[in-house]
Amino acid sequence: MVLIEHLPPTATRVERHTHPEVNAALRRRTDAGLTAMEDAESAQFDARLRQLDREWDIERLLQLNASTLVLVGLVLAQRVDRRFLWLPAAVLSFFGQHALQGWCPPVPVFRRLGVRTVREIERERYALKAMRGDFDGLPPRGTADGAARVRAVMKAIDA
Amino acid sequence: MLDTDRVRTHTAESVLQRIDDRTVRSVADYADADPGVIAKRLEELDCEWDSDRTVEAEAAATGLAGLALGVFVSPALLGVTAVAAGAVFMHALTGWYPLMPVFRRLGVRSGREIARERYALKALRGDFVAIGTRSDAVMTAASPSASAAGDTETSGPIGK
Repeated sequence: MVLIEHLPPTATRVERHTHPEVNAALRRRTDAGLTAMEDAESAQFDARLRQLDREWDIERLLQLNASTLVLVGLVLAQRVDRRFLWLPAAVLSFFGQHALQGWCPPVPVFRRLGVRTVREIERERYALKAMRGDFDGLPPRGTADGAARVRAVMKAIDA
Repeated sequence: MLDTDRVRTHTAESVLQRIDDRTVRSVADYADADPGVIAKRLEELDCEWDSDRTVEAEAAATGLAGLALGVFVSPALLGVTAVAAGAVFMHALTGWYPLMPVFRRLGVRSGREIARERYALKALRGDFVAIGTRSDAVMTAASPSASAAGDTETSGPIGK
């Protein structure tokens, strides 16, 4: 448990192991996309939100990448030479390191290719919802009881 | 809105209900909390292990154990590693994972489910009040951990 407390937070562990300029570039691209939606119709917001639903985040890509390499290594070890077992050994070690620390060799490559984290994608999602006006007219603090405000907020979140 | 979350589509209805009820109850606990208390809760949410991180840690451990057993005990046990890798492959493509029903019953949430709670808390705190439709104000408010008047560069994930 002590070890767990020293690990980086789940949500930000990849950004912490990405070059700050790459993080900033990804953020600028997201923000430019949002600015371009300034006067968009509600249908355009719906379309963009559906695109975000389908966007592959970095965890999904890393899982596909690592599992493929492990399977290839196992086949090569079976068919060609046992020493190919070093491939799954290395890939699985890095995969475990990624789970714990947020870094493995493909991360810098994928990040430079523009692959975002779930947190970055969700930031765009809720920014779009705010621009669409989903959060307008929520009862402010002190004007309604807690339960009513929570109901209104969850309705806006799920809209 | 979460119906396209591929982890959710492979979770039993009753388990989804339990997970969602817990999220709403947790949000309700902070309905009248001070902004600082909510900020603390947002930090906790950042640290929560989501389903991806859980799968990755478990699969790496299982796969490495299979390799060790395959090398030192019997080559047939390399099958453990093959099954673990095949499962992660399936998870990446479809969202189905053999151990996910166990993780989900233990309360492990997907990244999107955690983000839903995060932004509900931010809305509750008033981060989205009176921003109109100006996109720069929206972006500041939508930053995952920025406070209502927060500066995204210092309190966002990058500045930390």
